Amino acid sequence: MNVSKTIDATGLSCPMPIVKVKKAMDTINSGEVLEVLATDQGTLSDIPAWAKTGGHTILEQKTIEEVLYFYIQKS
Amino acid sequence: MSERVAIIAANGGLFDGYKVFNIATAAAASEKEVQIFFTFEGLNLIHKQGMHHLEMPEGKEHFAEGFKKANVPSIPELVEMAQELGVKFIACQMTMDVMGLSKDDFIEGIEVGGAVTFLEYAKDASPTLTF
Repeated sequence: MNVSKTIDATGLSCPMPIVKVKKAMDTINSGEVLEVLATDQGTLSDIPAWAKTGGHTILEQKTIEEVLYFYIQKS
Repeated sequence: MSERVAIIAANGGLFDGYKVFNIATAAAASEKEVQIFFTFEGLNLIHKQGMHHLEMPEGKEHFAEGFKKANVPSIPELVEMAQELGVKFIACQMTMDVMGLSKDDFIEGIEVGGAVTFLEYAKDASPTLTF
């Protein structure tokens, strides 16, 4: 997967990860992929819900050693 | 789906602040237009000095540690972020008059309005939330 940008939201709690994701998405182009690292368990439902609102696609989500990874393709 | 969220902040404690500003910030980060109408004790949440000393509900002071542990942003930080994301703050004129407050008592960038101003905005909003 070709990642255009990565943001680290580990250690942050709601609503900060979403705010960081929004700001980062504003800086990439349509079709590009944003990688997000988070530890707030709330992001497991919040980031997909946020992506749905904006019409973005979650290409992949995985968990490695308690860090949640999201790959969001901008609409 | 409405692209507009309307919030009434009518209480001025620390928990109230989090309820109001978390939802407002999350909505604004989801490309919604957001307006908060601050009335009565809610004015405390945008008061220059008051917002730095919001109180926990009586008997709930032990949650202070939990806030620290969860790395929750402070209320002034959330307020700044909300404004940066375009959330509009309206202070209730009537309450300000009752409490003897002027626009200078509040943080920069707020507007002052009455109930009708808010209702006009909220008529096309979904959801409208009250805290």
